Amino acid sequence: MLDGKYGETMQNSMELLVALGDSYDAERMVSIGSAHLVSPNPISAGKGGTAFIKEIATKGGKFVVPTTTNPACLEPWSWREMGFSEELYLEQVALSQAIAEMGGFLCNTCIPYLIGHAPRMREHIAWGESSAVLYANAVCGARTNREGGPAALAAAIAGRTPLYGYHLDENRFGELEIVNRVDLKCDSDYATLGYFIGKIAQNRVPIITGIPTTISQDEMKCLGAPFAVTGSISHYHIVGVTPEAPTEGVASGKKRIRSFDIHEFGLKEFKETEESLCVIGPEEAELVVLGCPHASITQLKKYAATLSERKVKPTVEIWILTSDVIKNYAKSLGIADSIESTGARLVTNTCPPAMPRDFFKKKGYRRVATDSPKMVYYVSTTKDALCYYGKLENFIDIVTRKR
Amino acid sequence: MTEMILKGHKVAKGKAKGEALVSQSPISFMGGVNPEVGIVVEKGHELEGVSICDKILIFPTGKGSTAGSYQLYELAYLKKGPKAIINIRADSIVAIGAIMSNIPMVDRLDQNPLKVIETGDIVEVDADQGIVRIEK
Repeated sequence: MLDGKYGETMQNSMELLVALGDSYDAERMVSIGSAHLVSPNPISAGKGGTAFIKEIATKGGKFVVPTTTNPACLEPWSWREMGFSEELYLEQVALSQAIAEMGGFLCNTCIPYLIGHAPRMREHIAWGESSAVLYANAVCGARTNREGGPAALAAAIAGRTPLYGYHLDENRFGELEIVNRVDLKCDSDYATLGYFIGKIAQNRVPIITGIPTTISQDEMKCLGAPFAVTGSISHYHIVGVTPEAPTEGVASGKKRIRSFDIHEFGLKEFKETEESLCVIGPEEAELVVLGCPHASITQLKKYAATLSERKVKPTVEIWILTSDVIKNYAKSLGIADSIESTGARLVTNTCPPAMPRDFFKKKGYRRVATDSPKMVYYVSTTKDALCYYGKLENFIDIVTRKR
Repeated sequence: MTEMILKGHKVAKGKAKGEALVSQSPISFMGGVNPEVGIVVEKGHELEGVSICDKILIFPTGKGSTAGSYQLYELAYLKKGPKAIINIRADSIVAIGAIMSNIPMVDRLDQNPLKVIETGDIVEVDADQGIVRIEK
């Protein structure tokens, strides 16, 4: 594969993977079941990355495993109405086409695992998108490192990835413990805990205790998403819940966690974390962004219930981000209509950090309210907006009125 | 002038010499750095407002989004990137970004580079040999 017998794109991909493997002293490659590509858009890939991806497609590169895509920079049918430029639309279409030519599933979502692409336990995969990496490793028990865009692309073409890091049993054990003492009641409460854990664990694998065994899939999705905002965590365990953590001993590989590596998350930490994410009040928001990571069908149903019998105020816009697949499901159930009749917008295929840097400024979105700490980070760093963080119920009366 | 040599491990091949810029905290290339100007924009980051362009950039490890690899490539593509990177331990996002951008990069040095190297030192990275030369 390295000597070019299978073509130039295979050779280039293998060269990249061998260099990556060498930098981690990987002994060999391992076959993968799927790949998930980040930055399939001209904004996060940049001019350089866009040219890089298109060149591989032009040279005839083909994916040999199912390969899904993270959000694009706009929604293909509403770009004009939402205020994106035609130039950007055309750039996105050209890049999406290049990925489609290579055989990609253009799902343009950060939750491929909820729309038919969940990996199985112990399956080796090459996924990007930090929140999806955490879900795949921790909740599904699959094996992936945090793959940057080019690494996942090369792995998709080669059908393999270097065997290092989280592909190896010995690196998957918990290294520190977070003891939860808070009665976590909703997705956002779990996200607050996740943001706290990311800061403390940095790049280590946390074991979380004190979590009810009734924790839902949505709550785990929201818990993991902010881990890699403040850190670069790839994996976690919840004792009694996630597949590699039937007991604390199994999760830690029978190592005793040292006392200085045990951290409590109590009401004080909960409040401090929430406050650290707010620099404005919700009444100042011009835009509300919900659905980070992209909303599941059950989350859409909850948002619909919170918004029911209400109308979004004319001074504010509400976006609920989700996958196209889930929006279509929501349409068939009447949930999409119920949400859109309030004036809130279901936005699919995209996500603010993938949008142009000056887009929010141009649209007059300087202040944003969101129920996701990950969105706070990306909206404030990539869109220069000021944020309020809290669950929708906290500010529903401010951004909507009763019908 | 004193010279010091650290030995470590190649992440991405190549050689470069330039002025050191040290960050004690991790860096996210997605969102954390504006690739059009090469300036750190993460609020409250110790390098907020500082240019990483043409510097020998020293930080503990990468953090944040997996889109960081292309963003590092974009910095290099727009000629706003660092000349070389030194990490305590490379994370996969920065590693692959450096490899495809031809930015020399080393990690796992025999001394902590965050303690030994100061911003402003002249540093030469020879990634192929896994060597870092520091002039103070």
